[in-house]
Amino acid sequence: MLLLQNARIASENSPVLVEGDVLIVEGIIQDIGSSLAIPEGARVIDAHGRVLMPAMFDAHVHFRAPGFENKETITTGSEAAINGGITGVVMMPNTRPALDSATAIATVLENAKDRSRIPVYTSGCVTKNREGKELAEIEGMRGLGVKMLTDDGDTTADPAVLLRAMQYATEFGMFFASHCEVPELAGPRALNEGVMSYRLGIKGSPACAEEIIIDRDIRLARAAGAHVHIQHVSSKLGMETIRWWKSRGDVKVTAEVAPHHLMFTDEHIGDYDTNYKMNPPLRTQADCDALLEGLKEGVFDLIATDHAPHTPFEKAQDFISAPNGITGLDTALVSLYHHFVEPGKFGWDLVVKRYSAEPRRLMGLPVPAIEVGQQINCVLFDTEAETTFTKEFMKSKSQNTPFIDKTLKGRVDLVILGTEILLER
Amino acid sequence: MARKDLLDIASLHREEIEFLLDQSTSFKKLFTRSVKKIPALEGKSVLMLFYEASTRTHSSFEVAAKRLSAEVTNFNVDHSSITKGESVRETIETLQAMRTDYIVVRHSHSGLPGMIARQTTASVINAGDGAHEHPTQALLDAFTIKEKFPDPRGKKVLIIGDILHSRVARSTSTLLQKLGVEVAYLGPGSLVPKYIPESIRRFTDYEAAMAWAPDVVYLLRVQMERQDVQFFPNVREYHRVYGITNARLAEISDKGLYIMHPGPVNRGVELCDAVMDYERSLITNQVENGISVRMAVLDWLTPGGDFPRQEPYAAQQQASSSVVTP
Repeated sequence: MLLLQNARIASENSPVLVEGDVLIVEGIIQDIGSSLAIPEGARVIDAHGRVLMPAMFDAHVHFRAPGFENKETITTGSEAAINGGITGVVMMPNTRPALDSATAIATVLENAKDRSRIPVYTSGCVTKNREGKELAEIEGMRGLGVKMLTDDGDTTADPAVLLRAMQYATEFGMFFASHCEVPELAGPRALNEGVMSYRLGIKGSPACAEEIIIDRDIRLARAAGAHVHIQHVSSKLGMETIRWWKSRGDVKVTAEVAPHHLMFTDEHIGDYDTNYKMNPPLRTQADCDALLEGLKEGVFDLIATDHAPHTPFEKAQDFISAPNGITGLDTALVSLYHHFVEPGKFGWDLVVKRYSAEPRRLMGLPVPAIEVGQQINCVLFDTEAETTFTKEFMKSKSQNTPFIDKTLKGRVDLVILGTEILLER
Repeated sequence: MARKDLLDIASLHREEIEFLLDQSTSFKKLFTRSVKKIPALEGKSVLMLFYEASTRTHSSFEVAAKRLSAEVTNFNVDHSSITKGESVRETIETLQAMRTDYIVVRHSHSGLPGMIARQTTASVINAGDGAHEHPTQALLDAFTIKEKFPDPRGKKVLIIGDILHSRVARSTSTLLQKLGVEVAYLGPGSLVPKYIPESIRRFTDYEAAMAWAPDVVYLLRVQMERQDVQFFPNVREYHRVYGITNARLAEISDKGLYIMHPGPVNRGVELCDAVMDYERSLITNQVENGISVRMAVLDWLTPGGDFPRQEPYAAQQQASSSVVTP
C-alpha cells in the first residue's frame, strides 16, 4: 500500500495539473482525492508538488543485442529507460543477426524476459538481413507478437519490394516503420547539406533525400492499404509532407520526432563533435522550429528517442569514421522538460500524450492513466530539481549523448510499474 | 601565444598569420645562401603520416624539416584503401610511444588531424584533410600573393574549379579574406555549392566572373577521382566552359592578371599548355614558397605541454571575420 500525497497529476487530456493524493493498493490506483486518510500500514510519500504522470513509452530504441553487446544489452538499455522514466520500449531489428525470422525474435523475447524489469517489445525486419531484397519471415514473426516491420537504419531501397511487403503484411494486421532517406542522395556521412557541410568539408545529405522517401512510402502505403509510420523526421518539408497526407485522410500514416531533432542544429557539431552525429542528421533552426510546430499540431503522433548507443572508442574516432547515433533514454524526459515544458513551449499534456499514450496506441497496448481502477504505471517528476548527466548517472552502457556532463532542469524521482517501485531517487 | 598544432586557418589569429608570413620571408632569405640549413630543430623528429598519395606537399615538408635540421621519418601507410579512424587511432598510440615531436598528416577524412592532435603530445600539422582544410597551402598562397601585392587589401582573387571537394579553396579563401582580399568562386553549378559563406561571391559564368575584374586567377585541380557521381559531362566541355583556353589566356595577359594553381596541373583541363610559360604564372613561385612557409610553421609550433585546444566554433567565427591590417 502506497499513498502519494500532494502530487500534481498530469494527463494527456488537459494542460492543467490536478493536485491530489493517490492511493495505490497492490499496484492498482484505489483512490484519488485531496487529503486522503492514511490507511494503516501504508507507506506515505510526500510528493510536495512534484508532477505525477503516466510513465513514458519509447517506440524506437536500439538495444544492440544480439551482436553488439559491447554497446548495449537488454539489461543496460532497459535500466536506462527506467532511469529516464520510461516503462516500455520497442527495439529496432538491426542487430547481428538481424531480427528477420521467428527464431531470432523468439531468442530476443526470451532474453528480455529474464533481463528486463520493463516490457521490451521488438520490431522485425521487412527484408532478410535488412538488405532490401528478399522478404523477411513476416508471418512467423507476427506469430510471436511482432507488429512493426522496419529496415530501420536504412530505407527499403527498392519500392517494389516494399510495396509487396506492405500488401502481404497488412493482411496480418502489421504496420511499417520507415527510415526515410534516398541512399544515393544521402551518402553515409550523417551531416546536413548546407553551411556546415561546406565548413567541415564533408559531403552533406540534403533534406530532399528524406522528403522524397517520406512521400514515396506514404504513397506505397496508400496503394497497398497499409499503415506506415514515418520514423525520426528531421526536415521541415518532411513534416509538411506528412501534414499534407494526413489532411487528405485517405491513407493511414503516423509519424514520430526525436528530441534531438527538436533541440539541436547542425551548428552544434562545431569542431566535429561526434555526439551530434546521427542519421537522419541535425538540420537547421528553421527545421527545428517546423518540427516543434508539427509536434504541437499533431502531425507527429509521438516522440521517440532513436536511442543509439556506441562505445567511447567508436565515437572518439574522426567524424567520418564514427558511427551514427546518440543515446536518449536516460535524458529524453528531462531534456523535453528543460527545453520545452519549463520555458512554456508546450505543456505536460503534450508530453503524456506524445511520449506515453500515443506510442502505446501505435503498438496496440493499454494506455496508462492516473485514474481510479488503473494499474499504476507512473513517473514522479521534480520540476525544481536538476539532473547532471554524468557517466555514473546514466545507466546505458554507452554515453554518446550531447548531454554528457550537462546539467538540466528537472529530475525523475520515482518510477512505479504495478507492484514494483522501479526507481526511487 | 604558443600553439601545439596547426589544424586549420579558421582558428588562426591575425597576429599569428602576420608572424608566420614575416618568418617565411626570413626563411626564404636563407635559400640564396650556399648553406641553406639552420639548426632550429636539431634533435627533433618529424614524422610524415600521409594516408593519401602526395608528391609536392610531402617533399616540401620534408625539405623544410631537413633545412631546420630535424630528423624526418616516413611512416609507410597503404594509399590504396581508406584507413578508418579506428586504425588511425591505433597508429597514433604507436607514434605517441615513439615520442615523435611533430606529425605531418594527410588523410581523406575531414577533421581527422584534429582527432590525432587531441591524442598526442606531438605537434600535429594538417597537410590536407578531406575537403576541409590545407592550411600550409593557404599560407604559401597568401605569401605568394603578398610578394606581388605587399598590401593585398582590396585585391580580388577568383578561384575557379571544384569548390565542393577542395580543401585548398576553403583554406585559401579564409586566409585571403583575413588579409582583406576579396574572393570569388567560379565553377560548374554542381561543384560550387550555393551555401558557401556570404562573404564569397559565387559565379557560374566565366564572362561574368571576369567582369568582376580579379587581380589573380587561381585554378584548382579538377579531381576526377573524388567524383562519386559525375559533376560535369567530360573534361573537354569543362575546359571549354571553365578552363583557361588559349583565347582566355590572351585576355588574361592583356589585363596583366596573375595565374596560380596548387598543382599538380591537368593540362588541357583547367588550363591550356601555354599557361605554363605565361610570364605572370606564379605556379613555380608557389612551390618555392611552400618550403619557407612550412619551415616557419615547424619552427613556430611548440610540441608537448597542455596547450589550448583548438577553439570552439564561436571563437572561430569571430577570428574569421576579423581582417588583418598589414
